[in-house]
Amino acid sequence: MKYITSIFHIALRELGILRRNRIYGFCMIAFPTLLVLFFTTMLDEGLPQDLPIGVVDHDNSTVSRGLVRTLDAMQTSRVTYHFASVTEARAAMQEGTVYAYLYIPQGTAAKLLSGRRPKVSYYYTMTCLTAGSMASKDLKTITTLGSAAVGQAVLSAKGATPRQIKAALQPVAISAHMIGNPYGSYNYSLTTVFVPGILMLFMALLSAYALGTEMKFDTGKEWLERAHGNIVVAIIGKYLVHAVIFLLVIFLYLFYIFNVLHFPHQGGVWNIVRLTLLQVLASLGFGIFAFGLMPSLRMSMSISSLWSVLSISMCGSAFPVAGMDTPLQAMSWLFPLRHYWMIYQATVLNGFPVLDVWLHLVALIAFTLLPWMVIRKVKNAMLHYVYIP
Amino acid sequence: MSIFRKYKEHLADVLYIWRQELMQVIKDEGVLMFLVIVPLGYPLLYSWIYNNETLRETPVAVVDQSRSALSRQFIHDCDATPDVDITYYAADLDEARSLVSRQLVKGIYLIPSDFAARINRGEQATISVYCDMSLMLAYKAVYQTAMIEAGRLGAGINIKRAGNYTKREDLITAQPLAVDDVAMFNPSGGYGSCVLPAVLMLILQQAIALGIGMAAGTARERHRNGQLIPDDDPHYRGAYRIVIGKALCYAMIGFIAAAYLAMAVPKMFSFPQLADARTLLLMLLPYTLASIFFGMTVSCLVRYRENVMLLMVFVSVPLLFLTGVSWPQSSIPGYWQGVSWLFPSTFGVRAFVRVNSMGASFSQILPEIRILWIHVAAYLALACLVYRYQFRLARRYAPA
Repeated sequence: MKYITSIFHIALRELGILRRNRIYGFCMIAFPTLLVLFFTTMLDEGLPQDLPIGVVDHDNSTVSRGLVRTLDAMQTSRVTYHFASVTEARAAMQEGTVYAYLYIPQGTAAKLLSGRRPKVSYYYTMTCLTAGSMASKDLKTITTLGSAAVGQAVLSAKGATPRQIKAALQPVAISAHMIGNPYGSYNYSLTTVFVPGILMLFMALLSAYALGTEMKFDTGKEWLERAHGNIVVAIIGKYLVHAVIFLLVIFLYLFYIFNVLHFPHQGGVWNIVRLTLLQVLASLGFGIFAFGLMPSLRMSMSISSLWSVLSISMCGSAFPVAGMDTPLQAMSWLFPLRHYWMIYQATVLNGFPVLDVWLHLVALIAFTLLPWMVIRKVKNAMLHYVYIP
Repeated sequence: MSIFRKYKEHLADVLYIWRQELMQVIKDEGVLMFLVIVPLGYPLLYSWIYNNETLRETPVAVVDQSRSALSRQFIHDCDATPDVDITYYAADLDEARSLVSRQLVKGIYLIPSDFAARINRGEQATISVYCDMSLMLAYKAVYQTAMIEAGRLGAGINIKRAGNYTKREDLITAQPLAVDDVAMFNPSGGYGSCVLPAVLMLILQQAIALGIGMAAGTARERHRNGQLIPDDDPHYRGAYRIVIGKALCYAMIGFIAAAYLAMAVPKMFSFPQLADARTLLLMLLPYTLASIFFGMTVSCLVRYRENVMLLMVFVSVPLLFLTGVSWPQSSIPGYWQGVSWLFPSTFGVRAFVRVNSMGASFSQILPEIRILWIHVAAYLALACLVYRYQFRLARRYAPA
C-alpha cells in the first residue's frame, strides 16, 4: 500500500514536470499530430498520379498518336511535353521536368502494318524509384497494347469473337490479389511505419530526457526520497504518466487512420491494442536502458536518437531485411521498431495468428524489461553523479 | 580612427571568434559527435544497409492444381528468374496461406486445375497471384515476375499455334512491335543508389545544424545568465563579426564533411557517380553555406541543447520526403512544396541527385543553385538579425 501511494505521488509530481517543461508538450502532442498530418496528407493520393512524361514522336501517325493518347489517359501518367529530339528529352529528364519519355521513330506505323517489326523505346529515370517504376509500368502496358492492336485488327477482320481475340492475344492471364492493401497504396504501407517509428523515437528520447533532467536540475534525490529509496517504485511512478499519455496519443492516431481514413486492417482491435501496449513499453524501456548505460543526459539522448533514426531503415519495411548483409540481419533484432513492424504486418495488416511471430513478441517484452539490468546504475547516478554541461 | 584600422579591428575580432568557437567545438564531445562522428559514420552505416541494392530470390509458394506440363513450365520459368525463388509446393491455398503467415514466403502462385485444358481448348487461362503487401519490393518482384513469365508462356503458345516457317516470323508473331525498355541513371533499380545520394546530403545539413545547435546550447549553459553571447569578452561586440567568425569555424568542418559525403562515400560503395568536379563544387559551396546559416538561425531559437536534437531528429524523415526522392516531387501537395522551400536540403538534395546520379551540367541545376544562394543570403541576414537580438539581450542582462 505504501508503494502504491508513493507511485501515485511520483506520478503527480511527473505530471507537474510535464506541464512546466514545454518540450514534453511539443514532443508528446504537437509533433506527433504534425507528423500524422504530414504523412497522411503527403501520401493522400496513395499511388503517385499524373507523373509528367515526355514524348518524342517522330512518326506522327495515327498509330503513334493513339499510343500517346493512351499513355496520357493512364491514371499514373500524364504527357506533359512533346520533344523534338531524344537529346532534348534526356536533358529535360536531367532537369527533373519529366520522369520518363517515349521515343517513337519515323516509320513505326508503316513497319507495324507491313509486319516489319518496328522498335519503339522508352527511357525512365530510376533516381526516384517510385516514379520510375510507375512510369515504366504504364509505358510497358501501352507498348504491349500497341503490339496487340495489330493482332486485334487482323483477328476481328477474320471474324473472331471478342472472347477468342482475348484468348489469342493473351493466352495466359494473371489475376493479382493484393492482400491487405488492394490499391497498392503507399499511404497504407508507409504511414503505418513512419508514424509509429518516429513516435517510438520520441518515446525513447523523452524517457532518457526525463531521467537526464532529474540529474541536470539535481532533483533526482528528491525523486528517490518520494519512492522511499525504492528505484523500481520511482521508475514505475515516473513512467506511468509517460505511458498513459503516449498510449492515448497513439490510440487517437490509430482511430484516425483506421476509422476516419479507413486504412485496411484484418487483425481486429485486440491485436492492435496489444501491439500498441508493447510498442509503448518497449520504447520507454529502451530509453531508460540507454540512460542507464551512459548516465548522462547528452549521451543517452544521442544514443537513443541515432539508434531510433537507424531503426527506420533497419526495420526493413522499405528495403527488406532479407536483402541486407547477414550481420545486419542479425543486428536488426536489436531495434524495437523491427519487432513492432513484424508484428504489425503479420497480425494487424494480414490478420495472421500472433503465434507465427511469437519471437518478435518476446523481443518486445525483452526491451520492456531491459531497464532491469541497469536500474542500480540509474539509482547510483541519481544519488551520486553531478551534471556537467 | 582611419578606415583601415577599423577594418583591421573587425578582422581581428572575426578571427578571434573563429578561434574561440573552434576551441569550444573541440572541447565539447556532444558537438564533436554530431559534427564529426555522425557525418563520418552514419553514411557508412546507411551505405552498408542498402549496399545490396535489390531484393533477389523472393520466396514464393506454388499451389499447382493443374499438374500439367504447361503449369510446370510456368513454375520452372519463374524459379529461373533472379527475382523469384519457388521454395514451397503447397497442397492447397490454406496451406500456402499458413506459409505466408509463418513469414516463409512472400507470395502464392495458384494454378487452377483447368489451366492446361483451357489453353489447349484455345481459351484464356488464368493464374492467380496472391501477394503479401507488407513489402512493396517483394510485391513487385512476385507480381512482375508472374506477369513477365505469363507473357512469355503465352507468346510461346501463340508461336506454336501460328505454324510459322522462319524464326523471324516467330518473332513477329510474339511481338509485332519491338520494345526497348531502358532504365536510366540507376539501371538495376537499386534501392541504395536511389536513396543514398539524398540521405548523404540530408546528413550534411542535419549534422551541421545539430552541431551548431549543440554548441550554442553549451554556450548558453556555460553562461551565467543563460545568454548565447559572452558579455565579458571585448571581442564579441557586433552581431556581424560573431556570425561571420562562427560561420568560418563551421565552414572549415562543413566543407570537409561535404567533400567526404559527396565524393568519398559514393566511391567506397560504388554508387552512381557522374558528377563533374566543377559543377559539384559550385553546388556544394552554396549548400554547405546555406546549411551553416540555417543552423545558426535555428540555434538561436532553442534554449537548451537537447531541444535542438529533438527538433532536428523529428524533421529529418519528413525532410527526406520533401526532397522528392522517395515520393515523386510531382505528387507532393502544393502546401508541402511551399514548406519544403524553407529548407536548404530540399534543393541541395535535388541538385546533388541530378549532378551526381544523372550527370546534369551546371546550367541544368541552375534553378536549384539560385535558390540555394538565396537561402545563403536570407539565412545569413536572418542569422545576423537573431544574433543582434541575442547580442542586445546579452547587453541588457550584463552586469554594469
